[in-house]
Amino acid sequence: MELWVGRLRTYARTTRVPLAEPCLIRSERTFMRLPKKALLLLAVLLATSFAIAARPARYLHVKVNNPATHELVRINLPLTLAEQVIPAINQGKLRAGKVQVGHLTADNVNIKAILHALETAPEGEFVTVEEPGNNVRVAKERGQLVVHVIDKNSHEHVNVTIPWDVAQALISDTSEDQLNVEAAIKALENVADTTLVSVTGDAENVRIWIDSHSSDE
Amino acid sequence: MVFLAKLGIGVLGTALVGGAALSSEGFIHVKIHEKQADGTHLTLVVPAVLAPVTLSFIPRQQLAEASRELRPYMPAIDAAIPALEDCPDQVLVEVTDPGEHVTIEKSGSSLVVDVNDREDLVHVSVPLRAAHSALREIARASGPI
Repeated sequence: MELWVGRLRTYARTTRVPLAEPCLIRSERTFMRLPKKALLLLAVLLATSFAIAARPARYLHVKVNNPATHELVRINLPLTLAEQVIPAINQGKLRAGKVQVGHLTADNVNIKAILHALETAPEGEFVTVEEPGNNVRVAKERGQLVVHVIDKNSHEHVNVTIPWDVAQALISDTSEDQLNVEAAIKALENVADTTLVSVTGDAENVRIWIDSHSSDE
Repeated sequence: MVFLAKLGIGVLGTALVGGAALSSEGFIHVKIHEKQADGTHLTLVVPAVLAPVTLSFIPRQQLAEASRELRPYMPAIDAAIPALEDCPDQVLVEVTDPGEHVTIEKSGSSLVVDVNDREDLVHVSVPLRAAHSALREIARASGPI
């Protein structure tokens, strides 16, 4: 023990020489600077991890109710689940996350070309059709593609709202008659809470929307 | 005396290991309650690990048709079940009408189906991992996946 104390004293004495002092100060500064940087980096990393972890899961909800028969169907689907399942389906017209929609180019109307044109068009009403049987309105509002259809015979009102990013994702990396469902679902993860489809009529009401709640209660 | 003690420890150890192995994948829980006066009340709790094991003893030709129908959906099932395991607990589907209430719920690591209609009350809880193993076993009946 005495030997150790003696050694320490000797070490203390040797480090107290004037030449060693600036070195000591410099090393202390370096020592102080490093943890600050490390702490800052750690704080940034933690904040990022918390931000990612705190990002709420997104859900696609479907609610169908029939006021006459008091039937109610509720579906709550986590978007992450859809994101992982859809690319794995290779059945019928849905393959590798893309759905083959043969009639997209029917009547010489190419939906993809229209969406490309709408992308650069200013906001406003694009199409208004008023017929004895129904009214149709297509517009670009607040960065969203909006379609309103009123069927006067069945008293049905159909509202479809597609956020622009989702519309773009639908036509991304596809051939003329395909829609990219996988990309659209990924895009839905990043859009604000919104009602995508609502159908109200005498017989049934349908609502499809996305939010961060696991149930629609 | 020492021999008996050793034997006891051996039996107890085997029972513990066997019990742990049997319950490793959870339990399939089936409860059927017929609402009529003399209706059946059945409660069945089966170790989930037995489901794929039992399926492996069924002759392949008996499962051939089910296997053929199931195989195209296996990639989707393989993707869906692990994804579902990662999802928080929640009601996935709920159907309500005046005579019936059906819910399909993810609860813990199980998928729970509850049906409550005018005649029956049915509760089925299946551990997802066991369901996955069982479905893969059925799909394998008509050749390797």
